[in-house]
Amino acid sequence: MDADVCIVGGGAAGGIMALELGRRGIRVVVLESGPRHDFAQRGAYVRRYLRHEDPWRSRLAGLDVNTGSGRLRYNLEGRRARGVGGSTLHWEGYTLRFHESDFRVRSLHGIADDWPISYVDLEPYYARAEIALGVAGAPDDPWASPRSTGFPLPAFPFSHSDGMFAGACGTLGIGLHHLPQARNSVPYDGRAQCKACATCHVCPTGAKASIDLTHVPAAEATGNVRILSEATALRLESDRSGEVRAAVYAQPDRVERRLSARTFVLATGAIENPRLLLLSKSSEFPDGLANRSGLVGTFFMSHPGIEVTGRVKENVYPYRIGFSTAMSRQFATEGDRAGRAAFLLEFLNSAGPTPEGLAVTSGLTGEALREHVRREFGRRLGIRIYCDQLPDQANRVSLNPRVRDYFGTPVPHIGYQVGRYERDGLDEAKRVAESILRTLGGTDIQSSGLSMAAHQMGTHRMGHDPKTSVADPNLRAHDVPNLYLAGSGCFVTASSSPPTLTIAALAIRAAEHIASRLRGDSKF
Amino acid sequence: MRRRDLLRTFALVLAVPSAGVGDEPAPRAERQPLSDTEKEALLAFAEVLVGDRPLPVPARAELLSHIGARVIAREDMLALYREAAAVLDRLAGAPFSILAMRDRRDLVVRHDLAPSRARMPRTEGVARAIRRHVALDLIAGYYASPMGWAVVGYGTFPGRCGDLGRYTRPER
Repeated sequence: MDADVCIVGGGAAGGIMALELGRRGIRVVVLESGPRHDFAQRGAYVRRYLRHEDPWRSRLAGLDVNTGSGRLRYNLEGRRARGVGGSTLHWEGYTLRFHESDFRVRSLHGIADDWPISYVDLEPYYARAEIALGVAGAPDDPWASPRSTGFPLPAFPFSHSDGMFAGACGTLGIGLHHLPQARNSVPYDGRAQCKACATCHVCPTGAKASIDLTHVPAAEATGNVRILSEATALRLESDRSGEVRAAVYAQPDRVERRLSARTFVLATGAIENPRLLLLSKSSEFPDGLANRSGLVGTFFMSHPGIEVTGRVKENVYPYRIGFSTAMSRQFATEGDRAGRAAFLLEFLNSAGPTPEGLAVTSGLTGEALREHVRREFGRRLGIRIYCDQLPDQANRVSLNPRVRDYFGTPVPHIGYQVGRYERDGLDEAKRVAESILRTLGGTDIQSSGLSMAAHQMGTHRMGHDPKTSVADPNLRAHDVPNLYLAGSGCFVTASSSPPTLTIAALAIRAAEHIASRLRGDSKF
Repeated sequence: MRRRDLLRTFALVLAVPSAGVGDEPAPRAERQPLSDTEKEALLAFAEVLVGDRPLPVPARAELLSHIGARVIAREDMLALYREAAAVLDRLAGAPFSILAMRDRRDLVVRHDLAPSRARMPRTEGVARAIRRHVALDLIAGYYASPMGWAVVGYGTFPGRCGDLGRYTRPER
């Protein structure tokens, strides 16, 4: 046996579980498809990012290709990062807990389904995840669910433009509060305070939490965790007993290798997890591993969103930090959740074009161009909106055998659409955002087209019933006793909050369960 | 578009002979770095585009760094830069960089080599390629650099870390 636990994926879920298990003396091997991105290279990555390149992009051709169908195309390129640390390498760092009602939308509103666990079940794990990631926040959100602990770090102060938004929101009776985030407002856990580099897609100081900094070094320091980078899992092999025996993986040389373990965890995100299950067919599982329910890949969800901007008279001084500091969760928990999607308002600190953006779209040159850039810069305020999305069985991840990736493996095919529920939510959100912008004197109010967040959820949902879910409340696959399915694929509903903190809390909880089971605790 | 096609199109549209260029350019020459003369032509072009004034030494260095990075990032940029430099010099009948600023500007406008808001039929072919790819690229390179941020009064900007409290107040 190569390991007690083989974790496929070294991102938020996998990295956290590796540390939790390694600390308990459990031998772990992590297979991570991407490379180790050397922290010393972050300066060079920043320069590439500023040239509109994606420094996190895989060097292996076609590894992030997908196909799609439906009225909308959900493309993965740029929406995930491969590497030790996973998508936390490039995430925005926003760490909201899901609201307690998000776990009970069927009971409360008669829509979708309830989770098999409640907010109360998850609350202690949220608290631990916040400490591990270093979440900065303030208890000023009237729509937050009860907390057993304070935030580990003080909130980032409101920005200059937040002050403008606050005035308008006050007039309209809309709450504005701090946006919790895993970013160091003060030095924390050996990492520096944020230095306002404004390139959070690549944080050059390490002030933004990412798993390669917050968890991987500590996991490896236990002596129990080994991370194989550039090792892409191709499939899992199971035996007649229905248990997984090996992960088959390949490195860039494309040579297949096997890794055996007592327990396996898939932690590759809500696209690759179902893809790997569907690729792991056997006589026991002719429709894909852990797929006796036929639900693997189904109920794919994201966060549909729009951005509303308006022109203002005075300069709002954008692009001085790379993240937002204020939000409103008022419409995420109140209102007609049965009739339309709940939504978050994020008050942007940087909206409108950069000097470069103004220059290249102006059609001007010379002194006229300079004057145009000087006059127009900083004159737009913006509000970003993300809404909840109902689980829809037609939104699903499947395999496309006609298109193959670097390893010759069928790429994921994503069938995706946004329904009336979400569009009605966004329409309402747009009205709210427009009213805020008009109240603070905004003109030329514009709304972007529909876009989807880089959040993928719900393709191997958890539940009590093996007929209606893929994994149990501890993330163990119903059909395969030594297989766990971590990450946002297990979400039953999407909430309108970013998923990462919930991924982290569930990962800590699942690791606790695995450790107890491996120790032979009778209650598991 | 291959370099040969680019030259033929240019010769047709602007009626400038592509003297000295054979049908099959030596492939090795295509990937040679830009010469100092070519760089000077591009910098002189950039001066017309971004401000009608000579660029200070740091700005020249930033733009050259931008050009170097673009050549690495985009396979066709070297050929585009090279063609732009060659076209500018040919149209000038001398190194473009030694022309007075006003003469450079006149040449650029006359041959439709820069972005414009004017509602008129635009010149196609190589002029279009220079206008859309090289001119816009140089403008982008300049305005993404510290000089571009200085135009809007920013001494600290994305990629240059600084004072965390700055974002909470108006810019001084």
